[in-house]
Amino acid sequence: MRARLETALLGARPLASALLSPLLASALLAGLLGAAGCQTPRAQNSATAPPVPLPVVPERELRAPDAFAVYSERAERSRALFGEASRVLLHARCVNCHPSGDVPLQRQGLLHDPPVLRGPDDRGVVGMECTSCHQDQNLELARVPGAPNWHLAPLSMAWAGRDARSVCEQIKDPARNGGKSLPQIVDHAQHDALVAWGWGPGSEREPAPGSQAQFGALVAAWVETGAECPAPGSVPTVPLGGVPALQRPRTESP
Amino acid sequence: MIHEHWFEPAPRAPENEPDAPGLRIVRRSFLSALNLSLIGLAVGWFEQAEAADAKAPAASAAAAPGLQPNVFIHVAPSGEVTLVCHRSEMGQGIRSSLPFLFADELGADMARVRVVQGDGDKAYGDQNTDGSSSIRNRYEELRRIAATARSMLVAAAAQHWGVAPSSCTAKRNQVIHTPSGRTLSFGELAIAASKLPAPALAEVEPRPDSELEHIGRALPLLDAQAYVTGRATFGADVRIDGMLTAVIARPPVVGGRVARFDAQAALAVPGVRHVIEMPVPEAPYKFQPWGGVAVVADHTWAALRGRKALNVAWSDGDNAVYESERYAEQLTELIRAPGKALRNLGDTEAALGKAARRVEAEYYVPHLPHAPMEPPVAVARCDGDHCEVWAPTQNPQAARTEAARALGWPEEKVTVHVTFLGGAFGRKSKADFVSEAVFLAQKTRAPVRVQWTREDDLQHDYYNTVSKQQLVAGLDAAGKVVAWRHRTAFPPIATVFGPNHEPGAGDLQQGILDFGISVPNVRAEAAGIDAHVRIGWLRSVYNIFHAFAENSFVDEIAQARGADMRDVLLELYGPARQIRSLEQLGVSELRNYGAALEKHPVDMGRLRQVVERVTEASGWNQRKANGRALGLAAHRSFLSYTAVVASVVHDAQGVLRVDEAWITIDAGKVMNLDRVRSQMEGSLIFGMSLALYGAITMKGGVVQQSNFHDLKLVRIGAAPRQIHVSVIESDAPPGGVGEPGLPPVAPAIANAVFALTGQRVRELPISRTLRV
Amino acid sequence: MSIHITINGKAQQLDVDPEMPLLWLLRDVLGLTGTKYGCGQALCGACTVHLDGQVIRSCCTPARRADGRSLTTIEGLSPDGSHPLQRAWVEQAVPQCGYCQAGQIMTAAALLARRPKPSDAEIDQSLAGNLCRCGTYTRIRAAIRKAAGIDP
Repeated sequence: MRARLETALLGARPLASALLSPLLASALLAGLLGAAGCQTPRAQNSATAPPVPLPVVPERELRAPDAFAVYSERAERSRALFGEASRVLLHARCVNCHPSGDVPLQRQGLLHDPPVLRGPDDRGVVGMECTSCHQDQNLELARVPGAPNWHLAPLSMAWAGRDARSVCEQIKDPARNGGKSLPQIVDHAQHDALVAWGWGPGSEREPAPGSQAQFGALVAAWVETGAECPAPGSVPTVPLGGVPALQRPRTESP
Repeated sequence: MIHEHWFEPAPRAPENEPDAPGLRIVRRSFLSALNLSLIGLAVGWFEQAEAADAKAPAASAAAAPGLQPNVFIHVAPSGEVTLVCHRSEMGQGIRSSLPFLFADELGADMARVRVVQGDGDKAYGDQNTDGSSSIRNRYEELRRIAATARSMLVAAAAQHWGVAPSSCTAKRNQVIHTPSGRTLSFGELAIAASKLPAPALAEVEPRPDSELEHIGRALPLLDAQAYVTGRATFGADVRIDGMLTAVIARPPVVGGRVARFDAQAALAVPGVRHVIEMPVPEAPYKFQPWGGVAVVADHTWAALRGRKALNVAWSDGDNAVYESERYAEQLTELIRAPGKALRNLGDTEAALGKAARRVEAEYYVPHLPHAPMEPPVAVARCDGDHCEVWAPTQNPQAARTEAARALGWPEEKVTVHVTFLGGAFGRKSKADFVSEAVFLAQKTRAPVRVQWTREDDLQHDYYNTVSKQQLVAGLDAAGKVVAWRHRTAFPPIATVFGPNHEPGAGDLQQGILDFGISVPNVRAEAAGIDAHVRIGWLRSVYNIFHAFAENSFVDEIAQARGADMRDVLLELYGPARQIRSLEQLGVSELRNYGAALEKHPVDMGRLRQVVERVTEASGWNQRKANGRALGLAAHRSFLSYTAVVASVVHDAQGVLRVDEAWITIDAGKVMNLDRVRSQMEGSLIFGMSLALYGAITMKGGVVQQSNFHDLKLVRIGAAPRQIHVSVIESDAPPGGVGEPGLPPVAPAIANAVFALTGQRVRELPISRTLRV
Repeated sequence: MSIHITINGKAQQLDVDPEMPLLWLLRDVLGLTGTKYGCGQALCGACTVHLDGQVIRSCCTPARRADGRSLTTIEGLSPDGSHPLQRAWVEQAVPQCGYCQAGQIMTAAALLARRPKPSDAEIDQSLAGNLCRCGTYTRIRAAIRKAAGIDP
């Protein structure tokens, strides 16, 4: 219901923007969405972006690349594809190991407990290395999550508290993405075993939406359409479960 | 000296049998041939046997030669002195303190001493290592026990030399004729001494304290080498030929039962041998096994997997109503109404009515778990007509009783050996886990080890009870407390033993009835409530919450008056004096931890002194400076007096930390200064955990915590940079040491938190309201 | 399928479930009971051993991870309890109940092997995974500093 209202209101935008200033249009939109009980998306696109109907999907599912064919303009389609992919990238299962500080996150963005630190090589400190506890797979009788090469993304790849555009720019930047070309990024997204863990987290952890194959397809389509980055302040396309509620990590709430 | 740690763990398995359970333990040593076993004891000292060398148990017919005046001491012709430690070692260091006590009194050379752990046997007297009582209850008797042996050795030497015994002394494993300097070794004297009549305990005099070499000093930790090399045998380290390991799925709600279960998947797990339903306990639960379904397997891994594969449906029963928040509301209702009066001095209601000012507050402390690092575990083997148990039990005699009951056998057919305890804090004096092992050993006709997981330990504990308290004080125009009313409501320990759910004098003696404040009108009332969980005793028990309320409340009075809490506390205590009369306290009975009030009065002078000492040591006059604040608390418990000052700061992330602490204890005459200090250090950390984070909560009758991710404990990074311990030198009779350090810790921290943040915490843990 | 592990210097061939955690392999199969069970969830550190010199929590580490590699337990830290940490532990009378201490020492040994003179912060960070319910932390710190030669 909310998504439909959203698209309907987006449909209203061109008229509104033609008649009103973009700022007022956004405020009007925000007010309408607020009144309808929707979360106001921060400015998703520039005021010149045409509204496009996307299929409604449950939180756990990812839209397929062909759903984005409705965006006739290539760059627009590319941005929208990244917006969809960022539903995975900014999900807790991914963000928790892309913290912006020296402490990994766990569950819904809480500081890792027992207390651990990034260490000199993103693999922990002596006696508390990531692989002191984490194995190459989840365990039958223990809740400790596991995947091959368990470690923290370097600080240059911090995603916690960032918007989709920042994540996009970092992913594309060979100086900050481990020297990867765009095809290598696609391969990483599609096949990396640690990335794969996001969909098979084990225990009661909520997996990232969709599947690695679907995510990989989105990333491939994004690259194929020119790897455009969304506007500043962009958030993933639909409200997520598992996004850290605060921009800044906090300790366990009382 | 030779210091045995009962069972050497089996070394690496023979190369060709990688899956074999490994080596076996039980070859009785010559010690089992001692009189000790003839008296009906099985003194446990088990040497580990090489696989190829495993012999049948040696016949225990002939007594080992030498002097053995009682079950505790044996002196061999070789000069070796065997001492029995009959109390359980759980970290308090009794296995160091007791041998030194005996050796000092006897005059033995510690290098010639061998320590063995006593089995559960009435011949040793009380073995319930609980209530901080090992030294305080039996200090004089234990000295006389050793003095008996000394006097016989001296008598034998004196007889040989034709001199008066009073001219001889015993030292370093020798008797010395002081005037001539002649010596005879204990070994040389042992046989002759054994032929002399043993004097009665009342007839022997302990030697003058000035002759004691070790007692009262900081003593070495005799088992340290075993601990640091992994050779100390704890409960799960005991390995018996053919032993199976059981892990039990227990009803999530107390009183719940198995509705149905399907063992098929469990039995399909490789290594699983049996799936057995446990007997259903009936209230009152006491120490009965908890019920449920046991998976018995070749090794722990198989048993754990098997339990996971069990398909059990539970019928939860009546205690499924138990929900912590709602129960707290019920407790609150109770303390807002008059309860049963257990203490009454003057006319508190009238005095409160006339008071110039009134201060009132309510305090809540949740259920607390024991969570020893070693979860409960027990090994049992029932052969034909004898059952042998190995367990980390605080109370081997009770374990023996429970094991016999579980078997339906007389106690004489059961032997309980005591291993090292990996922490206990009261959990392991309950013999439920022993009964479980015995039941399964009998059922499977194999030796069985019942291993509790951490989840089992946290979810099936005998929790320290949950309480709500109300304190009301009436102050006169000068701010002095003239009326003091304390209401406390909790389901008492009695609920696990019978239908009674009213706290009584035996419960309130812990911190309320013995709170010897100098106030003319004092009243204490208690209210009870049904329990929905097994309640038990945890290190200092009710003192934890009574001390929390009283010391927090004094701080609140100080706050109301704009006064120094230390001054208010000392004014409340009144002048130094010893209270020996029940009338003075306004009570009709005071258990006084089992001691006569005459010998162990309520000594307000000693309580004042620990407060004065700890505040001086901590620089109390500068108590709020440089971004940190101090908090104070003090308490009498187990006949000792302790005061704590905690320093609290905010760290760089704005999280509250205890960065330093001071703790002063007056425990009367102490055995082992180092272990007193370590108990105080440990109490500080233990108290921090319960003050800051760790609570047990229930929903639908089920415990919500299951492991250390949701039952948080202090880790090294949170430990204060320094814990300053001060032990008062005293000639007073020994008081307790294991527990008295704990009660003042949480209120000292809460008071420091108030001083630093202006926020008053009346509910533990502090993490409910603040970032810690 | 056999797993080959060198344990405390001795090559062992083990026919066990490759997913069996090393803790149970050590304790139940091999009788090396110095390494303890405390939580089974890598939260308490009582099960700490070294895998090729690195601290691992053996309660969560499957046996197959040690295949072809070398494992050191408390029993193998020194032949006779003479490791400087063991000596310092005894001298400072660190243990109370003793149950956690093998794990504490193993972690501390790994720390000192890489950081011979750790700072107080490094000690706290590296030992953060080892719980002690008896509260011996201040003595653990002192013993590590002593063994490292930081304190006389």
